[in-house]
Amino acid sequence: MLENFSFRTIIEYLPLFGQGLITTVWLSALSFAGALAVGIVLAAMNLQRGRLFRIAAKAYIDAVRATPLLAQLYFLYFGLPRLGLVLPELVVGIIALSLNSGAYVAEIIRAGILSIPRGQVEAGVASGMTYVQRMRLVILPQAFKVTIPPLLGQAIVLVKDSALLSLISVSELTRAGQLLASDRFMPAEGFITIAAFYLLLYYGLKGLAALSSRWLGLQPARSST
Amino acid sequence: MTNATKTGMIDFRGVNKWFGSLNVLKDITLSVEPREVVVVCGPSGSGKSTLIRCINGLEAIKDGDLVVDGQRLGDPATNMTQLRTEIGFVFQSFNLYPHKTALENVTLAPIHVRKIPRAEAEQAGRDLLAKVGLADKINAYPSQLSGGQQQRVAIARCLGMRPKIMLFDEPTSALDPEMISEVLDVMVAVAEEGMTMMVVTHEMGFARKVAQRVVFMDAGAIVESGTPEEFFSAPKTDRSRAFLSKILRH
Amino acid sequence: MIWQQLQSLAGSYPLALRGLGMTVMLSAISLVLGTLLGFGLGILRTGGNRLISAVIGAWVDLIRGTPFLVQIFLIFFILPEFGIELDAFTAGIIALTNLAACFICEIVAAGIRSVPTGQVEAALASGLSRWQRMRQVVLPQAMRIVLPPLVGQYVLLIKDSSVVSAIGLTDLTRVGWLVVQRVPNGLLVFFLVGVGYFIVCYPLIMLARRLERRMGAAHGEVQL
Repeated sequence: MLENFSFRTIIEYLPLFGQGLITTVWLSALSFAGALAVGIVLAAMNLQRGRLFRIAAKAYIDAVRATPLLAQLYFLYFGLPRLGLVLPELVVGIIALSLNSGAYVAEIIRAGILSIPRGQVEAGVASGMTYVQRMRLVILPQAFKVTIPPLLGQAIVLVKDSALLSLISVSELTRAGQLLASDRFMPAEGFITIAAFYLLLYYGLKGLAALSSRWLGLQPARSST
Repeated sequence: MTNATKTGMIDFRGVNKWFGSLNVLKDITLSVEPREVVVVCGPSGSGKSTLIRCINGLEAIKDGDLVVDGQRLGDPATNMTQLRTEIGFVFQSFNLYPHKTALENVTLAPIHVRKIPRAEAEQAGRDLLAKVGLADKINAYPSQLSGGQQQRVAIARCLGMRPKIMLFDEPTSALDPEMISEVLDVMVAVAEEGMTMMVVTHEMGFARKVAQRVVFMDAGAIVESGTPEEFFSAPKTDRSRAFLSKILRH
Repeated sequence: MIWQQLQSLAGSYPLALRGLGMTVMLSAISLVLGTLLGFGLGILRTGGNRLISAVIGAWVDLIRGTPFLVQIFLIFFILPEFGIELDAFTAGIIALTNLAACFICEIVAAGIRSVPTGQVEAALASGLSRWQRMRQVVLPQAMRIVLPPLVGQYVLLIKDSSVVSAIGLTDLTRVGWLVVQRVPNGLLVFFLVGVGYFIVCYPLIMLARRLERRMGAAHGEVQL
């Protein structure tokens, strides 16, 4: 049983957990920015007339969605050095998360653009706008609105996924729990504490998603993720 | 199941109901005899739908007594599921099961609730659909039927349970005008077979033809009650006169 | 050199098959158990008992709010402290089943809530019992909403099963990790691992997309 549960040890390790939490937050933030960039490029490729772009984007998205993040992470971790790219684990991790999440972000953006009623496009055409003008003035401002809640949902997934970076020895939150578990043989203290920290991040982002839905005047986000 | 004949088939005695602070049914006392057809009318929000939804327990009453077929609603001894099998309910929006064919809609409850053998239930279902004029639509899904046809299937679905009472909640108000009469014809036929019926409707032609009584409701209360002739030719209150002038104008 | 590596890789194919088998078995068992449990929880979640619904909701939130890796560690390292000895395989099944059940619970609950109240009222009015209403009227209609995300969830589950390699189960990902120690070509090894997952997951992704289109079309047709 957990009668020996030691809050004292948790407090002793609190600086380590704090550091891990901060690392998780900023590496997730960086990866999310990367994912947005990747997602926008992919979504733009998907909307091109040229077939090659569309096929390439679709193939990339399907490949990412049909394989686990952990395998993708190992692919880069063990594979990049082979290409002469020896990068710190942290950087490899951020690249993996960006490339992985980017595929999902691309789908969210695409769904957002497709959610705009045809009548909007037709109204744009009728008033003599070019393709770029229609996109910029009519479609994207509306699509942007509906993508915010699912993007925050994807951010939640990304934060949780970042735990896998502990398996390539990145000193983030989960790694801090593993250290406490292995140094002091206190897995309960280690893993329950980090679970609590992750829940903190989860409820924060979830609250933000709910708020954003309300601000944007959307229906409360349907249970996605 | 005690002496149902002593009281009416449906007996409201001082029934009240609130939605929050809104008194949607005010002190309702009303008795419907076996084989009687009662039409309930009144402006929207007058509580007429709530009134008949109480009878099969889709709405719970707050106080007073409501006795249906000798069983008191809200009494622990009353088996509501059992009682509902005796009461057919026709909805304004039909509420046919979209994943079932017309015949399956009619036979679902007989097979699963009444435990009638499938073949027998299907034969009865075909006969009922023929009776409402839909012999050729037995295997159609609701989405393939017009509103009038859907509502006739819904009536057949109720009749399939051989109910003692039929309740109709504005059965024609969701229909296009040209489909109203095909539904009313079926309802007249049901009434002429001696069914006990309560019908919320503004179809005054139907009321004149088969109703023994018209009940006029306003703001949750029964304002006036009488034979169709009395009600239409000599309404007693200002409110019923105002209401009649509105619905008879078109 | 690449030739030697390919030969060496070809030699590890029994191990790779075993890994793939483990991934498929883990996923299949937890998929079946998780679906059963998830439907049960989803029905209870919408069943009208506030307390039960709140407890399930809180549990689902806990599971959705924490990384799966942390859940596996919690189950594998902490349950033994309660006197429950687990091997890695059982721990993996428990973790995956629980994860699947929580996500499926929410999918099923959303499907049930999407069925119009008039349908339940019609079923009530014809005297169908609680279970009959669920079985005959509500669930068949909810399935239209439930099915596409359910299949999508299965894909996530199969991918999440890779995380159990962290507690030493020799699944497909773990096999890649073992092989790459001997054959130092991470690109090739994990490309092949990826192919293994792709073969299992991609048909399901296609199925989910097709269902989504079909259900969308069917839904439009039923609109009154």
